[in-house]
This record gives sequence, structure tokens and C-alpha cells, in this order.
Amino acid sequence: MKKIYILGLMAAMFASCKPNLKPEKPSAGHDVDFTRYVAVGNSLTAGYADGSLYRSGQQNSYPAILAEQLKLVGCGEFRQPLLPGDYGFPNAKMVLSMYRGFCDTAASLTPRPYTGALDTIGSSANAYKENGPFNNTGIPGIRVIDYLFPGYANYNPYAKRMFVAVGSRPIDEVVLAQPTFFTLWVGANDVLGYATAGGDQAPQNAAQTTNITNPIFFDIAYDSVLTRLKRNGAQGVCINIPDITSIPFFTTIKANGLVLSKNDANLLNNAYNSLAGLVRFEAGNNYFLIEDTSVLPHKFRHIKDGEYILLADNSGTISLSDSLKCGGWGTKKPIPGRYVLTADEVSKIKAATSTYNAVIATHAAKENLAVVDMHSYMASLQSGITFNGVTFTPQFVSGGAFSLDGVHLTPRGYALVANQIIMTINSKYGATIPLVDVNNYKGVQFP
Amino acid sequence: MKKHFLLMSSLLLSSAMAFGAAFQLNLQGARQLAMGGTGVASPLDASSIFYNPGGLSALKHVQGYVGVQALTSNIRYVETPTGTYYADSKPKTYTPFNLYIGGPINYKNRLSLGLGIYTPFGTGIKWDDNWRGRYVIQDIQLQSIFFQPTASYRVNDILSIGAGFIFATGNIKIQKAVPLQTAGQDGSVELKGDAMGYGYNVGVHMKATDWLQFGVSYRSGVKMKVKRGYANFNVPSSLSSQFPYTAFSSTMKLPKVVTAGLSVTPTERLTINADANFVGWATYDTLSFDYETNTSSLADTKSPRRFKNTLALRLGASYMINDKFTAMIGGALDPSPIKEGYVSPDLPDADHFMATCGLVFKPTKRFSIIGVFEYVITKRREATFTEANFTGKYDNRIVNPGLALTYDF
Repeated sequence: MKKIYILGLMAAMFASCKPNLKPEKPSAGHDVDFTRYVAVGNSLTAGYADGSLYRSGQQNSYPAILAEQLKLVGCGEFRQPLLPGDYGFPNAKMVLSMYRGFCDTAASLTPRPYTGALDTIGSSANAYKENGPFNNTGIPGIRVIDYLFPGYANYNPYAKRMFVAVGSRPIDEVVLAQPTFFTLWVGANDVLGYATAGGDQAPQNAAQTTNITNPIFFDIAYDSVLTRLKRNGAQGVCINIPDITSIPFFTTIKANGLVLSKNDANLLNNAYNSLAGLVRFEAGNNYFLIEDTSVLPHKFRHIKDGEYILLADNSGTISLSDSLKCGGWGTKKPIPGRYVLTADEVSKIKAATSTYNAVIATHAAKENLAVVDMHSYMASLQSGITFNGVTFTPQFVSGGAFSLDGVHLTPRGYALVANQIIMTINSKYGATIPLVDVNNYKGVQFP
Repeated sequence: MKKHFLLMSSLLLSSAMAFGAAFQLNLQGARQLAMGGTGVASPLDASSIFYNPGGLSALKHVQGYVGVQALTSNIRYVETPTGTYYADSKPKTYTPFNLYIGGPINYKNRLSLGLGIYTPFGTGIKWDDNWRGRYVIQDIQLQSIFFQPTASYRVNDILSIGAGFIFATGNIKIQKAVPLQTAGQDGSVELKGDAMGYGYNVGVHMKATDWLQFGVSYRSGVKMKVKRGYANFNVPSSLSSQFPYTAFSSTMKLPKVVTAGLSVTPTERLTINADANFVGWATYDTLSFDYETNTSSLADTKSPRRFKNTLALRLGASYMINDKFTAMIGGALDPSPIKEGYVSPDLPDADHFMATCGLVFKPTKRFSIIGVFEYVITKRREATFTEANFTGKYDNRIVNPGLALTYDF
């Protein structure tokens, strides 16, 4: 008898030797139905990264990441217009390589076009019939005003491959999956196109994608898109527009990043002798020379703090760094205006961004929807955001959040975005959806 | 002109490498452990060299003592506030040991001498290499061995005093992932080093009456210095010049421990002990690593720890069943020195509640075999390691059987 007690006691002890703590189950909250989640947005929503769109980028888009978490609280299948391969469509994505340019003395880490297998066959074919309707309707390049434009797909290869009809309006296409819940992150391209093309000196095109969208048109289009998404009683969140002047595309080449020796400074000063009051170089850090048509008669001057030099031209493939080094840009000749944002242009960008964000806030409030304040969140990235031991900053390459085009995010960056959306959903609907483990996704890949 | 965008200015290792600290083991004698870790007031055997050097002179014969524990700690991490993720630490058994020899220099002499070799501090935790906290810690092992030559003097029938010099050696090994990826694979770093330090242990023992004893001991803090450890980084080849194989130095401050206790013997067969340990963890303020070679990506690290002093309370009893058997039982409350915001998965410490029991078997007059079993549960703790922004809930269970042999010469 005694033995049985002892055996029982021992069994009980060994059972309690291991911790049996379990995580709390997530809940969906109230007044919200995640069954059919649809993401509406631009390249950031599509999963664009490294200067192109490619399959693994799409698979790590913030809507795809978010959908995985929403599946814990009732979200169904999440369909994306996945490309067949990872090369990049239409152009090759960028990868980091050890590269020695014409004017370099040694090889260094440089974003270069991917040279791997060309696995893009079939990329431009329409994917709707086979895989639609899509839950991720992110269209790289789209502006808010484009949603009302019939036949938009004729001008956008990404829209063309995912729309059911080429002649339709994007606003009609994005609701085909009949959302019960949506995220709406649009508006950045209505100002980004202007900024990445260099502001007022941007090359013009017929669709005027390098102009800042008139806020009145922005308002009308945003209202139309949001009303349409809400039509069948769907819930959702609106995401506002970050301050684009803080992204690495504009901040990587510093205004005073021109480092000169005493000798070089003297040579330049001699050459610009007639403009001694305007142009002045010294040993150490100097402000680059930039084109400015308002400065008469010479139409150039030193760049100032708060003004920006672009990382690349707006095709995203030609690094400006080479022109600075080999072409004597910024010293022997001013950096052309289309590669520079002057203080005047920066204030136009900031004004447009805050106007758009006010429009987003107004319409979201009217529809009783929460706004994900991505503007504030991306600003907080400046001082570093730490997640499970990894610190992210907006620093190009080393910061870990931005991909190699300096505009779009890495999968980890997109995961940070997904977490902000989750936090907003949780507080709005009383849900307890868990945050994603950001470090489960890839950061910048080094050779 | 440099390629601006290639300046790897931010240190990706900014979250400091950490090793644990609330790693005081309190396992330096099997009988004492079986009585809840008490023993400053009751010199039971040669392990008094550790518990109270003043008590050593109470031994009638020179005693040899050897003991070993088999400690297994099971820790689970659970994501909070909700989710599906949890991780269990890899099961591993640690074997803290104790060797003592000591006693009067000759029969009935007031002076006793002894030597203790024991392992008062140590920790280890190994998580899966791909677990969620891998950039904070994957594997940490910290060991120390103290050598303590000791002298004890019986001033009179009531009062004894004693003192020991401590020479401490130890080693640390830390492994964690580094967030620099190539083809989806993380980098990693391993830090390895040997440590050395000095300290002392003094105690007073008072046998007030036949049934009442007091004891006080003071074990000094020990600065364990890693003069020359090595950091071995495994990072993508294009960054290897930024993370060279380099020496590092570091210091970890093991705390002083002040113990006061009493021992009551109401009947011949029954002894009841009560001890209080004041542990001066507050000296453990910052953990620094100073790399011999710094680069623009590899800076020295300083991680605030801000431990607080703690007071542990211990209670134990022993009952002599007959000439051959004595049974022991005890318990203790040992609060965690780690404040909220500083709880790292390298040592997810929480308040300890321990229950102990043991049995002494004395087949001959001079020979004893002591068996002990300790079971520890910790308070489930939801905690954050702020500098890494790592949050979760932890549950820890410790199972710790042990065995000791004593022989009186």
C-alpha cells in the first residue's frame, strides 16, 4: 500500500517538473469580421522591394504578413497575384554586391542589378482568371486619383496582369474579393512621384505622375475609394502617409557629404575665383554645388541643410553616387535640379503630405474607422526601433528596415508595418491579435 | 570620396551581450540544502567551511566531504499578451560539486584548518538556435569554482571564529545570433573567456546554551575579471573586416552575502534552523564588454542591469530517527534581484520558492551518506528586457537531487 502512495507521489512530482504555461488565445474583438481581408494600396502594399516586384517580396508584403495573423481570428484564404519568379518584374531587382566602379580604388558593398536566373517568363500574363479575385490589390505606382481612371491598366503593367478587365477603373477592381475587412494605404505616390523625380525640375509625362496631386482631387478620389470599400458594411483601417523626405532615398547622400583635401579645395576655389562670395570650398566636409534656376545669373549655389540629393534617378537604377565621383557633379558642375530637392520643394512636399493626411483623417473619422499613424511611426524610426534584440533605423543598408531602393521596405520593415496595423486593430475593435515576430522575416541580405 | 551609403555606422550589436546574474546556487552542503539551505548556526560537517568558517572548529575529527548535485532547470517562454508561440529551454543537467577537508589540527585542539572547493555561482541556459530571442541569447554557460583555505578558532566553549581566503576561477561562454544575414542565414557571435577573482569568507559561531546556537557569516563580493576573452564573429564575408576576431575584457561582480541564523534543539532528536541571507546584488549595476579591436560597426557595449539587493529567508528541521537515520526537511523564499525591465532570457529569473528534503544514513560511526532532493518553482513572471524590447512570460521548474559522503578520520 505504502509503495503505491510513493509511486503516485513520484509520478505527480515528475509531471510537475516541466512548466505547463500556455500562450493566451487571440480573440477577434467585436463588431468586425476578418473573413475576407482585402489590402488596397500601392507598391508598399504589393510588396515591392529592392527596386522591383518579385515573388518572395510579394510573399512578404505587409498584407500577407498581416493575413497570417488575421487567420488566427477567422480570416480565410489570402490570394495574391504572385509573379512566377524572383528576378524582378519588369526590371531586375537590386542585390548587394562587392563592386568596383570606374572611379573606385577598391570594391565596396554596392546595390547592383540582380544577375541570377531570368525566371520572369509569364510575368506579364494576366493572373486573374487562374488565381483571382485577389485579396492583395496593391498596384505599384498607383496614385489615389488613378483609382477613378477607366483603362488604367493600359498604362500600368502591374494592374494589367491582375485586373479582370483592362478597361475598368481600379476602384471597381479592388472590391472584387468582396472585403469584410480592408486596409487602405494610398496617397504616397501622389507626392512621391514628384519627390523622386527631383521636384519642380522633374521630367514631365502625359499622366503627370511627377506632379503633386491637387488636394481637391485627392480628397474626391480618397472619399470615393473609401466609400466604395465601406459599401457592404466592411470594417477596415486607413493608413496615413509617412514623411517621405526621411527615407534613405533622400537622406543617404548628405548635403555636406563632399569631402575634400586642402589641395582640392584650393583648386576649386581658384576655378570659382570670380564667384568667391557665392562658392567656397575648404578642407574636410563641404556642401555640394547644386543647380538653382532662381539664383541669377549663374543658376547654381551650395546646397543647404534641409535640402536633399537623390540616391538615384527616378528609374531607381542609376546611382547618383557614380556621377558625383566620376562626373564631377557637385564640384566641377552643379548637380542638376532634377536630382535635388531644394528647401522650396521640400516644403511643398511636406505641405502636400500633411494636407493629404488631414484628408485621410477626416474621411476615416466620418466612416468611423481607425487611422494607422504611419507618419509618426516612421518618424520614430529615426531614433531606432528595437524588436526582440534587433534595432532598426532609416539608415540605408545597415538600418535593416529599408530595401536597396531606399524607398520600399525589407520584409522585416514590412513586418514592423504589419505590427502597427495590428496594434491599431486591437485598440479599435478590442481584439487581441498577436504581433508578428519581425525577425522571422528577412532583412537586408549581404554577400 | 567614399560611397556614402556603405558607411556601416550603426552598430547592429547594440543590444548588449548579456549573461545571467541571479545565479547564486546555495548548494554547498547536502544536509544544509535538505534543511532549506540553512546552516550558519549549526556546524553539521566540513561544509561549515562555506556556511560559517567559525563553525569548523566544532568538528571533533578531521572530516573529508564530497558532494554533488544534479540540477535540471526547465524553463518555458511564452509570448504575451496573446499568441501561439512558446519555447522550452534545452534540457541540460548541471553538476555543482563540493569538496571539503578540515578539522582540528590535532585532537581537542582549539585550532582547526580546512580547505573547501565548491561552486557557489553558476548558470546556464540554452535555447533553440532559431528561437525568437536568438539575437538576445542562444546559449550561455557560466561556471565558477572557489578555492577556500580556512582557519577556525574556538575561543571558548561558547564562541568560535573563522576566516577563509577565496581564490575564484571561472569561465563564461555566450553565443547569440547577429542580425546580419546572407541568403537568409543569420550571423552569430561566440564570446569565450576565463575569469579570476579574490575574496574572503568570515564567520562567528556561538553556542549560547545546549539548545540554542547562533551564527553570522560574511562572504565578500568577488570581482570576476575576464582579462582576455575572445569574440568570434561569424558574419557575411563582405562585412568580416568590420567584425574581426578580437580579444575582449569584462568584469562581473558577484555579490557579497551576509547570513545570520539560529539553531534550536528543543529535544535531543530535533533541530530547527532559521537563516536569513542578505545578498548585495546591487553591485551588479552594469555589464560591459570592452573589445580590444573596435571598428565602425563594433563598439564596446554597456548594458544596464540595475539589480537590487535581496533578502532570502530559510527554514529547516532535522529529526534523528535512530543512530543510523536522520531525516531533514526545509523550505525557502528567495526573491529575484532582477527588476522589471531588466529580465533577459539569458536569465529569466523570478522569485524562487523551494522545498527540500533529505536523509542521512550513517552505516558506521565515521561514515555518512546524505541524500537530498530540492524542488524549486518560480513565480510565473511576465517581464520585459527593455534594451532588447523582448517581452514574454516565463515559467521555471528546477529539480535537483544530490548526494554527499562524509568520512571522519
